[in-house]
Amino acid sequence: MGERAERIIRRALSEGRKNLTGLEAKEVCRDYKIPVPKYRLAKSEREAVEFAKKIGFPVVLEVVSADILHKTDIGGIYVNLKSPSEVRAHYRMILENVRKRRPDAKVEGIMVREMAPSGIEVIVGGIRDPQFGQTVMFGLGGIFVEVFKDVTFRVAPVAREEAEEMLREIRGYQILKGYRGMPKADEGALIAIIQRTSDLLMDFPNISQMDLNPIMAYERGAMVVDAKIVL
Amino acid sequence: MRIPGIREDVVEKLKFMFEPDSVAVVGASRDPEKIGYQCLRNLVEGGYEGRIYPINPNASEIMGLKCFPSVLEVPGEIDLALIVVPAKIAKRAVEDCARKGVKAIAMITAGFSEIGNKEGEDEIVRICRENGIPLLGPNIVGIANSWKKCNASFCQSLPYAGKTAFISQSGALAIALIGWTWLYRVGLSSMASIGNKADVDFSELILYFGERDERTNCIAMYIEGLDAGPEFMEACKRVSPKKPLVALKAGKSERGVAAAASHTGSLAGAPLIYSAAFKQCGVIEVNSLIELFDSALALSLQPPMLGDFPLIITNGGGAGVCATDAAERYGIPISDTPPDLRESLRKYMPEFGSPKNPVDITGMGTADKYEGAIREALAHPGVNGLAVLYCHTAITSPMGVAEAIYRPYSELKPQKPIVAAFIGGSECEEASSWLKERGIPTFPSPERAMRALSALRAYGKIRERFGGAGAIKRA
Repeated sequence: MGERAERIIRRALSEGRKNLTGLEAKEVCRDYKIPVPKYRLAKSEREAVEFAKKIGFPVVLEVVSADILHKTDIGGIYVNLKSPSEVRAHYRMILENVRKRRPDAKVEGIMVREMAPSGIEVIVGGIRDPQFGQTVMFGLGGIFVEVFKDVTFRVAPVAREEAEEMLREIRGYQILKGYRGMPKADEGALIAIIQRTSDLLMDFPNISQMDLNPIMAYERGAMVVDAKIVL
Repeated sequence: MRIPGIREDVVEKLKFMFEPDSVAVVGASRDPEKIGYQCLRNLVEGGYEGRIYPINPNASEIMGLKCFPSVLEVPGEIDLALIVVPAKIAKRAVEDCARKGVKAIAMITAGFSEIGNKEGEDEIVRICRENGIPLLGPNIVGIANSWKKCNASFCQSLPYAGKTAFISQSGALAIALIGWTWLYRVGLSSMASIGNKADVDFSELILYFGERDERTNCIAMYIEGLDAGPEFMEACKRVSPKKPLVALKAGKSERGVAAAASHTGSLAGAPLIYSAAFKQCGVIEVNSLIELFDSALALSLQPPMLGDFPLIITNGGGAGVCATDAAERYGIPISDTPPDLRESLRKYMPEFGSPKNPVDITGMGTADKYEGAIREALAHPGVNGLAVLYCHTAITSPMGVAEAIYRPYSELKPQKPIVAAFIGGSECEEASSWLKERGIPTFPSPERAMRALSALRAYGKIRERFGGAGAIKRA
């Protein structure tokens, strides 16, 4: 664990980059056994269709470029693509959008990834605090994080007991426990993600901020849909 | 300069800072308007019994004490040098102290990093570190030790004596709060103003008071910002199983430590991260100065509350309701009185009283009814903590009720905490002081009493979690 992450981070630094691409961030996650959807990097339309078939429809297509931080803003991501023809069409649309809106961006390819089923959205993040060093954040995702800022922090390394406390002390804990017959969240899977994020941050003091957002929490397991890592 | 890690030798040497047998006032003055005069007068008038050496090259005698031109001329050893000279000659004073072999320096002198003079500050720190002299400050009001009667500060007096060590990052607040210690009977063992904390760090003071000062059983802190977060956490983790630590982190409105390149970055902020760190190292966090003092009072006088059942005894329904709301708010919710206790409490109330929690002995409740109910509650194993509320009524005297609380408490010596609220006028204040002097934290409102009890519960949880041995000693 950590070797692959180290290679990726070293490469980014040597290229003078502060941001990992979406693909790199997912690989770092995978290296730390943080569950991410299945994904492949397609270099052509034909490859994109082939990978989509292997992964299984529906899929998500997203542009992979170190120069593009906000994929949504420029039409660099399309979700819920259900057939080979939709994949082909959107593959072309993404390239077209990038050409129009970010002609300067260097594009590595288009990521084809598994479309994670919806679950309870949560967020796990990391930030290097000037006083206490690496810290880990946990909160409910979606409007809970946007509007209510229902989040909690711990200084890394985060012990299992502390990760459990983080889950319990957010105001929306009831939602994780399955509110009004809604499915509950696999707390063990979330605790594991918190602790592995803590491990990652402890191993790499040069990570300054990161978001695993959203994470879909299911009754069994959880999946990090999008990851952002800033050095 | 940030400490390179906790320095155990510095921690040990802090005894010369807080329990000196001799103090030199470097920059002692004959002018009553000068701080150099105030400090010397405070030592003399505070009743300090060690040797006092005024240092001033232009005087031969101040306040009847022989004056020396420099610390180098002092015949005996000097444990603590209290430096009050202007910043421009402070370096020279520190060099002399190093040559003399002074064991600790507290530097009141201002005009260093707080106004951008980082260079001058670093130079002084370097001299101190090279010579193994702990330096407190600069830019402090000094230190005070109530049992040594050592008021090496320009505070107006020694603090009211007790068992809490108070570390303050604000000098002016430290001075003002010495007044509170007398007014509210919140006893301090020592007061340390930490100022620019150029050398001695929070962590080292915490370890000194936590592990080496037997007269301290609680540490209260006013923090604006730390320089060495991990060391602070390490020190607190070591001390919190043995002595309670309570902190007020001021400056909560600052937000966003980092440019928001991530969601996490936009949500993070010093207050949230400080709160997290406090939780992780066993520090009880409070939100105001009055909470800091109320909690310190309770934590220094009473054992932690081990268990989740607080019982409230009151003679007024309203006070009971307010206390119940506060208990809920502070995380120690009230539940029903166990049936056997309900039965035995019935004896101490009229027909229309209520043995439910809060136990309402009603306005007919006289001192002997209070005493009976308190005895039952203290003896019952299901009760983990007790709050006695008293509304001043015509049929009782506050002092009579105070005695009714103190008698069973002093006889039974319970291993569970007790707090009280005396609600009323000046007679209640008097009774309240009387109780505090006898080890029972007493407050003017039910909310403040419950807040204090919640601090005792918080410390109980810290003990359960970090594993402390035995109950703390009572005052």
